[in-house]
Amino acid sequence: MRRYIVGIESTAHTFSVSVMSSDGRILSNTKSVYKPPEGSGIHPFEASQNHLAAAPKVVADALDISGVPMSGLSAVAYAMGPGLGPCLRVGAVVARTLASSLEVPLVPVNHAVGHIELGCLLAGSKDPVVLLVSGGHTMILAYSGKRWRVLGESLDLTLGQLLDQFGRHHGLASPCGMAIEEAAASSSNYLRLPYSVKGNDVSFSGLLTASKLLLDGGRSFSDVSYSIQETAFAMVTEVTERALAFTGKKAVMIVGGVAANGRLSGMMSDMARRHSAVVNMTPIEYSGDCGAQIAWTGWLAHSCGIRVPIQESRVMQSWRLDRVDIPWRN
Amino acid sequence: MSISPGVTESPRRRLLYRGAEADVILGDWQGLEAVFKIRKPLTYRLQVLDEAIRRQRTVHEAEMIHLAKNAGVASPFLYNVDIESSTLVMQFVRGDRLKDLVASLSGSQLAGAFFEFGRDVAKLHRFGIMHGDLTTANVVKSEERLVFVDFGLSVRTARLEDHAVDLRLIKETLVGAHSDVSAHAIDSLNSGYASVVGQARSRAVLKQLQNIERRGRYARVT
Repeated sequence: MRRYIVGIESTAHTFSVSVMSSDGRILSNTKSVYKPPEGSGIHPFEASQNHLAAAPKVVADALDISGVPMSGLSAVAYAMGPGLGPCLRVGAVVARTLASSLEVPLVPVNHAVGHIELGCLLAGSKDPVVLLVSGGHTMILAYSGKRWRVLGESLDLTLGQLLDQFGRHHGLASPCGMAIEEAAASSSNYLRLPYSVKGNDVSFSGLLTASKLLLDGGRSFSDVSYSIQETAFAMVTEVTERALAFTGKKAVMIVGGVAANGRLSGMMSDMARRHSAVVNMTPIEYSGDCGAQIAWTGWLAHSCGIRVPIQESRVMQSWRLDRVDIPWRN
Repeated sequence: MSISPGVTESPRRRLLYRGAEADVILGDWQGLEAVFKIRKPLTYRLQVLDEAIRRQRTVHEAEMIHLAKNAGVASPFLYNVDIESSTLVMQFVRGDRLKDLVASLSGSQLAGAFFEFGRDVAKLHRFGIMHGDLTTANVVKSEERLVFVDFGLSVRTARLEDHAVDLRLIKETLVGAHSDVSAHAIDSLNSGYASVVGQARSRAVLKQLQNIERRGRYARVT
């Protein structure tokens, strides 16, 4: 018998709810995205107010669109972390309320694991090297020994933060990735920027400072956008290539908000070809934050008996994904 | 495969390993069995950036391979450097990569190998060299000693932070790729490290490593 689960994502700028079936179909995926003012980043409290106001409609729409009656839900999954405290708490409150009124299990999900597992489902990826790139993460991972293991990561800023902080310096509002990609497309004038690869890890802080200085020095936004993309993406591609060569795996999967960037995925495809590997892409709609990543991972966890009593259902602002046991994979 | 002038074309050559940034080819050079490490253009990278990186790493690696010997750590003998084709020609080190050995080692052999690994890393550090790429794929167990290869990311530095980054990569590789034995191996590695630089320095580096991990995203280091 097919069963259904509802998943609630509320870790940062996106409040999203999805109903999925046990065979991996996304029946609904509604969302409300907080938009900060020009030149600003996410203010956690402001974002949580957006989520609070949006929650009733986003939840109701997700259930309506799915066509699944409330009584058909087997469990409620929520993003327990990592993320912004005020935002996480909104999702948790909604999830607890649903779970207790429906009298179904409450399933805690790690948001980052959610990106990976939904990616694997939608991209049909079995055993990939994962590049998780977003505002919250820049990590290269592979599954081994019951966990997703970190093979490389940023030592300071994430790729999303690099792009957002650079964009905000120019007066844009987060997320700035798309505007930077567009600006970069109109330039081919590479300005030399620091390229910092340390073993399997990357560091972006020097790159950010140098890029801001170039802007301050009068270089055009498109030239610096082009240069920052070329430099940062090449760094990330290099360490992903190292992980691919080291593990000998034959697939790379890109997930997270920055996966939407065409230049990054282009570089990855180019790199993967050299190793006779394929690049698995998640559809853009589902590569960024969404309820479906929580619903699907919640289903996997639920099917292994993972649940949390409501009175113990905390949120965890810091919760590294390599601390999460993954009982559903072999 | 074309090799630029200056590097003798070998009649027998085969690809040993396709690494992330270089092809490692076994051939011969002036009658010697030799490894050709060729940093091929990476087309995903902008050409101007790619050329600068390949050239810099090739020259730099040659220097560091030599320096490592001064530090008392075994590294391949270097036969030739060809900057135009970003190629290093060096001794073929016979043996097994630590990466491939780990699974077959007994508990005491593992402890011994990682003690030695830690000891040699400490020798590099004491001499002011950060290897920069200390994965288990870059250390070869050859007869009775470890030979360090791939100095492409090495840096001359005595900074605590840099030495800690070196150890961090070993730890990352062990936990990532050899999770079943990582705790045991890390203990031995740390003992070997301390045996060269002393307890105080070793503790300071490990403390710094913890600081780096704490800086990591969403980390809760206890």
